[in-house]
Amino acid sequence: MRTKVHIKGELIDLLAPFYLLPDRKRRFEKALPDPIESDPVNELARAIHPAKLKLEIAEIRRETDSAKTFRFVPAPDSGLTSLPFFRAGQYLSLKVDIDGSPITRPYSISSSPNDTLNNGFYEITIRRKEGGFFTEHIWNSWDAGMIVESSGPCGLFYYDSIRDSKELVGIAGGAGITPFRSMIKDIIENDLDVHFTLLYGTKKADDIIFKDELLELAVKAPYKLSVHFVCSEPDSGWDGLSGFLTSECISNCCGEMDRKTFFICGPQVMYKFLEKEMTCFDIPAKRIRREAFGEIPDITQYHGFPEGAAEKVFEITALIGNESKVLPARATESVVVALERAGIAAPSQCRSGECGFCRSILISGDVFVCPDNDGRRLADKKFSFFHPCSSFPVSDLKIKVIRDI
Amino acid sequence: MLRPKAKAEKEEEMSGERTIPKLNDSYDIVVIGAGNGGLAAALQIAVKGGKPLLLEQHNLPGGFATSFVRGRFEFEASLHELAGIGPASDKGGVRAFLEDECKVDIDWVPVPEAYRLILTDDNLDITLPFGVQNYIEAIELEVPGSREPMNKYIELCRDLKDTIGLLGKLNEKPDITKLAESLKNLPAAFGDAASMPVKIGNFMKTLAYTVDEVTKTFNIPAKAMKILYPYWCYLGLPTSRMSFTIWAVMLLEYLERGAYIPRMRSHELASAMEARILELGGQVEYNTRVEKIIVENNQVAGVETASGDVIKTQHVICNASPTLAYNKLISPISAVPPAAYKNVNARKHGGAGFVVYLGLNAPMEEIGIRDYGLFISKNMDTDDIYFSMGKAALNNMQATICLNNAIPYCSPPGTSIISMTTLYKSEAWHTLTPGDYFKLKNKIASDMIDQFEKATHTRIRDHIEEIEVATPVTFARYTGTHGGGVYGYEPEPWDSVIPRILSQKDECYIKGLMFTGGYSQMCHGYSSALMSGQATAGAALRKMGVK
Repeated sequence: MRTKVHIKGELIDLLAPFYLLPDRKRRFEKALPDPIESDPVNELARAIHPAKLKLEIAEIRRETDSAKTFRFVPAPDSGLTSLPFFRAGQYLSLKVDIDGSPITRPYSISSSPNDTLNNGFYEITIRRKEGGFFTEHIWNSWDAGMIVESSGPCGLFYYDSIRDSKELVGIAGGAGITPFRSMIKDIIENDLDVHFTLLYGTKKADDIIFKDELLELAVKAPYKLSVHFVCSEPDSGWDGLSGFLTSECISNCCGEMDRKTFFICGPQVMYKFLEKEMTCFDIPAKRIRREAFGEIPDITQYHGFPEGAAEKVFEITALIGNESKVLPARATESVVVALERAGIAAPSQCRSGECGFCRSILISGDVFVCPDNDGRRLADKKFSFFHPCSSFPVSDLKIKVIRDI
Repeated sequence: MLRPKAKAEKEEEMSGERTIPKLNDSYDIVVIGAGNGGLAAALQIAVKGGKPLLLEQHNLPGGFATSFVRGRFEFEASLHELAGIGPASDKGGVRAFLEDECKVDIDWVPVPEAYRLILTDDNLDITLPFGVQNYIEAIELEVPGSREPMNKYIELCRDLKDTIGLLGKLNEKPDITKLAESLKNLPAAFGDAASMPVKIGNFMKTLAYTVDEVTKTFNIPAKAMKILYPYWCYLGLPTSRMSFTIWAVMLLEYLERGAYIPRMRSHELASAMEARILELGGQVEYNTRVEKIIVENNQVAGVETASGDVIKTQHVICNASPTLAYNKLISPISAVPPAAYKNVNARKHGGAGFVVYLGLNAPMEEIGIRDYGLFISKNMDTDDIYFSMGKAALNNMQATICLNNAIPYCSPPGTSIISMTTLYKSEAWHTLTPGDYFKLKNKIASDMIDQFEKATHTRIRDHIEEIEVATPVTFARYTGTHGGGVYGYEPEPWDSVIPRILSQKDECYIKGLMFTGGYSQMCHGYSSALMSGQATAGAALRKMGVK
């Protein structure tokens, strides 16, 4: 037979539940009948991670013949009083409408977090690519006073005091210097307990962005920063290092490899080159941080891309909300590019398969996912969700596109 | 299959025209938020042939039930372990709902042990197995003399669980004064029929009491009480205020059926439900934040989204909390009666989450941890631990998961995943400025790693290949939850499951507006949120006249 419980006494125990709901009502009666203010935690979340930003170009500075720095402040009618704080090395995903196509591009913030906190601006530095669809557009049309739409700061390419060692090495190629300017300024301005060695490879000395500024910072804070410029095709007057960023060059500039954390940002060819060059150092994976890979210019080089698909154009049936739209898609262009060409405002941010912002549903058909950019979650693979920015159509597709914010 | 090449030329004509997604003008039912509760509600409706529209502000399903990828690791965002699953041979309520009723395909993995508890002040380090008898024997071994009172205690927990099982069979929820009578009139479907009146009596007699009030009458040795209490943190309020009923049912469900997790993180749970909703003809729209629940004449008339959709509907199931609904969503604001504000203002918000996710470049064997779930604390004084949640600094307690010890291949060979969770009161984060945010989160994370290393006598810091830290701000960012709360309202006896269920009709302030998820009738936790979705959808379907 089951035992009966005795908590405070038979009668009290029996009666107690009958006071439960009256107690509840009494508590409600005593409470304030008014709405409450938004919680400061939610306000902080909105301040640090807004879904999108409207920015005004405050100033444009020429850095080299082919590179300009754009300084952004909050757009006057945006309702923004201050710009979201960020971690040095993060990027903004700019959204630009070019001839009816809504296009996004990620650009590292080249200014420091302090600049944002104390002086209220972001800077991004863009190098013009000859014939480049996006940079040509910016070169031709962006002026001071213009309003630009952007994401909040995002990305995972930053120094972490718990994970990384105190000896940092940044290896930059070309326009890949931009996040390092932010990181270096952050280290010096906030007196972080780290040392940063910069190896910066360009073709010619004239291509070096922030050259004087970086040299000045190295003089000002020798215990925090050393800078090495390496030109692959220097003019006769160049007296610095020349050649590529080979293992020899890296080891000459850095000394002991042990307990150093490497940050690498540059073009994809540099990532592939350094992967080979740095193998001999036997550095654990945790000590090599690489910026997101970027869009794939030539997917056909990848092993596993179906032979003969390169020339093909497939048909994508895209469901958006309750409508569907049929659009052409080249096998050599990612699904997100096909959507943009068709004027469909699909979300995207990193364009490297990493952030998952474009996650969509593959209802039918096959895509080839670039192995360098496959950031899908396990369950997404199981249930046929995919990242359009790193997926290339290899048959006709039916997809459900997530709407943009 | 392949398109002719000429198709490429067409693309020039296509550009220039923007496609903005459109939704239907009206839906039978709209579910706001694709968290566990919203997904389960939409799923239940779709299974019964309804065509729900599920709107989610984020670009993913799941709410807290999600995962994220960093380098070569995929981290679980929030789930420690689910109750209500059980093995295929003895399915719990959640598993039966998902698998049998909804045909949702999830690969469930059992968690190897109940928990390992380390209390540093008490020099206690003990691992408890699942299974009532094994659990009690493990406590008896550590604290002789515990067996008998523990047996009685667990029997009481079973009385409550059986009675709640009966309660679920009641078609109409009675007034509390007639509750015992209504239950006694039901044919006893659980346990042995003869003891049912005693069980119901015990259920009634403990209904108004806290965990401490009831537990203290069992003469369980003090040390054994400490070993018994760590699951408190899944409900997140001190045992001196926690409803005994909800505690007893949770404890017994874990011990009897064990705990389970989806093999591919909780994103598998969310994605599987999402995929099934779509398959059944439901509609799910992401990046679609509902800004207004439109109310006319005290009746839901529709919703309006941040994207500008205006949708007519008479039924809304809201996965956002009543606090958010009444303070932010109801339009016009005058449609919110003072009683609704009084209701949400009287209730206490549960803890806000803080999690450190670590991808290690060493396997668990090398680190030297064999357990899946560890509760690490200075002591088991839940008032003291709760008090430490009020400061944005190292908290006294952490609940830590070593994922590879449940799912060996959840990360590449030679690596492992650990995540350490603690809770804060959101007030602790109220004075924080953006400029100090990243510094503070790394400071607390670093202290939690120290706390773990000291308690377990292991070294993990040098193995950290990937780290991510989620704070109350992070949870607020992704889900919009009030104050970054990851739990619902605190289940004190007057605001526990039974009072909530029995007050549902009285506390329906706006016709057509129903709630699901951790802030609704079943209280919080994955299993409760999922079951609330099923229950709320059932009520909605009845109102809509669907059987």
